[in-house]
Amino acid sequence: MFKRLLWHLLSGNRVRLMVALLALTSGGAVVSALMNLEVDVNRRLAQEFRSLGANLVISGPSAAGSGAASADLLDASVMQAVTPLESSGVIASPYLYLVARAGSGPARDVVVAGAWLDRVTQISSWWKISGNSSLSRNDLTHCLIGRNVSRNLNVISGGMLTLRYGEQTATLGVAGVIDAGGPEDNQVFANLPVVQTLGGEAGKVQLVQLSVAGLPEDIRAVQAKLQSALPDLSVKPVPQVTEAEGKLLHRIRFLVFSTGLLILVLTALCILATMAALAMERRKDVGLMKALGGSMQKVLRIFIVEVGILAVAGGILGYALGMLLSVWMGDRVFGTRVAPRWEVLPATLALMLLVAFAGALPLRLLGNVRPAVILRGE
Amino acid sequence: MFIRLLKESFVRNPRRKILTCIALVLGMAVATSTFTVAVDVSDQLAREFRSFGANLMVTPQGDTLPVEIGGVDYRPITEGAYLSLSELPKLKSIFWRHNILGFTPFLDVPVSVATASGNAASRDFAVTLIGTWYRHSLALQDNTSFSTGAFSTNPWWKVRGQWFAEHSSQCVVGTALAQKYQIAIGDELNVSGHGAGPSQTLTVSGIVSTGGSQDDAILCALSIAQDLSGKAGQFRNLFVSALTKPEDAFSRRDPNSMTPTEFDRWYCTPYISSISRQIQEVFPGTQVRPIRRIADTEGRVLSQVSLLLWIVTIAALIAAALAVAATSATTAMERRSEVGLMKALGATNFLVGGLLLSEQLFLAVVGGCVGFALGAGLARELGETVFGVPTSPRWVVLPVILAAAALVVVMGSWIPLYRAAHVSPAPILRGE
Repeated sequence: MFKRLLWHLLSGNRVRLMVALLALTSGGAVVSALMNLEVDVNRRLAQEFRSLGANLVISGPSAAGSGAASADLLDASVMQAVTPLESSGVIASPYLYLVARAGSGPARDVVVAGAWLDRVTQISSWWKISGNSSLSRNDLTHCLIGRNVSRNLNVISGGMLTLRYGEQTATLGVAGVIDAGGPEDNQVFANLPVVQTLGGEAGKVQLVQLSVAGLPEDIRAVQAKLQSALPDLSVKPVPQVTEAEGKLLHRIRFLVFSTGLLILVLTALCILATMAALAMERRKDVGLMKALGGSMQKVLRIFIVEVGILAVAGGILGYALGMLLSVWMGDRVFGTRVAPRWEVLPATLALMLLVAFAGALPLRLLGNVRPAVILRGE
Repeated sequence: MFIRLLKESFVRNPRRKILTCIALVLGMAVATSTFTVAVDVSDQLAREFRSFGANLMVTPQGDTLPVEIGGVDYRPITEGAYLSLSELPKLKSIFWRHNILGFTPFLDVPVSVATASGNAASRDFAVTLIGTWYRHSLALQDNTSFSTGAFSTNPWWKVRGQWFAEHSSQCVVGTALAQKYQIAIGDELNVSGHGAGPSQTLTVSGIVSTGGSQDDAILCALSIAQDLSGKAGQFRNLFVSALTKPEDAFSRRDPNSMTPTEFDRWYCTPYISSISRQIQEVFPGTQVRPIRRIADTEGRVLSQVSLLLWIVTIAALIAAALAVAATSATTAMERRSEVGLMKALGATNFLVGGLLLSEQLFLAVVGGCVGFALGAGLARELGETVFGVPTSPRWVVLPVILAAAALVVVMGSWIPLYRAAHVSPAPILRGE
């Protein structure tokens, strides 16, 4: 009897049930898509900020930052402490700077940076390199030059560049020209051993730049780990990058979160109004059932089950749709796959049930109404 | 008669109308607030991005190769080209002058320093003196003044103690240098340039930490560096922090290949490329280049966040519209017996339809207006909490919201009303 009644209720009013289901589903879809994205948005944005370059610098104890010309040199063995971290998304390169004379005609002073070229191009992802950009760190015969160097010395990629430092000279083939829109435009990049030999600083580096992927917490964790492994050196974040990044990530996270919360609350309330309207409409049915001798409890149970079925169906459909939406959004906005999270499903279902039952509350008030009044109409 | 019927319907049974109205208010509030935030977010975030510092760099065109490591130029003063300080106020006269948030000139001078306050430990050393502005009040052409300097282009520079004051013989010393030569706040440094100007005694007012090569240098007011180098009224390079719009396919095109209309559109949009062009126009003989490390990241993150918010806005709008349509459909269905009665009394379909439709439209206008007010308030609150700047309401949104509300209620009640208007009244009056 109960089942038959329920079946009649559900199949008899198909249009209005479909309408309510549509509202629940679309609300659930938006809510679950937002919940699913919330976690990934932060990770993805933190990843985007990696294009700002290095965010940690290891240098000698007295130097305070990147590229200090007078800093004490470090032993190249420092890289042994850094390279194991590469498996966890850290890109690192040693740096050794010196000012050499370059060019054949009138010689010019130019900053030569010795580094691992394969890593440097990864850390400085904003570089546009014309020519060959994929150099191995063992290539001792090639270098990359900045665009101003190329213009000032009249060397283009494919040409040769001679560097002199004291008694030493090095002649390198120019593999590519860097357009960096920054100080690198004025520098020559060669592999570390080349510059070590040129400067007579075998086995020495000036500093190590690291690009750590992840949120500010992750960067601090790597910093602490390295500092304890290298107690004599200074491991410092690059303040320009890390401070502003932390602030911006916090702002964006807060923005997405509060917009999501706003949408969640307002959409839930909106669905609540829909469910309340649906419940109000049931007054006649309640009246009739009561008149036929149904106890208020029994009558209510039928409606509660009906509302529950609607909410669960809306929640599941909404979850499925929401996952599709978030996967599409992830692809469209960030160009990566966003994995659907299962823990969003119970949250969506719980929310939908809560909203649906809150909307059905007016039914309870109907218990007090006398059937005769309702059946007469109004 | 029509108006009386309409009034009756609202007065007699307000409960049904209230539910539709609540749904409308909430739905339109979602739409208004997310829409307002999405419109504004790009501007607000662009402002936040300026905490990364300058995004444009101005250098002399015929310059020799700068010998620059970590932000300090080690060239001797006799080499390379210079820019003239008297041209600087022109920066605030370009088309997008209000988007120029700050700029800082730099003049790096190699000097030798003797610590004057010392006793036996007094030492001589060679170091780079960076002449710049920290907070400089620049007189503009329209007789106003503009406060600019490293505080806006290099906001991550931290000082212990005080920044050097303009027009005083004070300086701040980089942390690494201070540590190396045990320089403390209050010490006096005797600084001499290489030949050009008379030596000067500077008082250390603070210790600065920048994370770059400035940590190994001394920073002082630009005028002191100019005196020491004999380059009065000149500087090496200029860093500019400008509010820009993220680059898109249009802005990446070569301006020379654009039609005049396209060129105007490009010129009048604050792309980093068009702002560079405008700066170059007022500073002939310079090279203006975006600092791509900052500009590229900014553009990408900005367009991602605003795209994300637009998609969320549209999704929320659709969800709200469906919920509102559902409510108005449900309440419209309840009216079937009423429609039957009216038709039985001789009302035409047109009259009945018009009556019910105007009821719904009236609700849409009221709900839309209240929803707009609520949504604008929420967006304001959201802007205040997230960015510290309240988001101002966009009046353009109001007509859009009202139209959306009208569309949604009409859509929602169309089918039930249509069906009600087209069945014969007798079965309905009998009760199904």
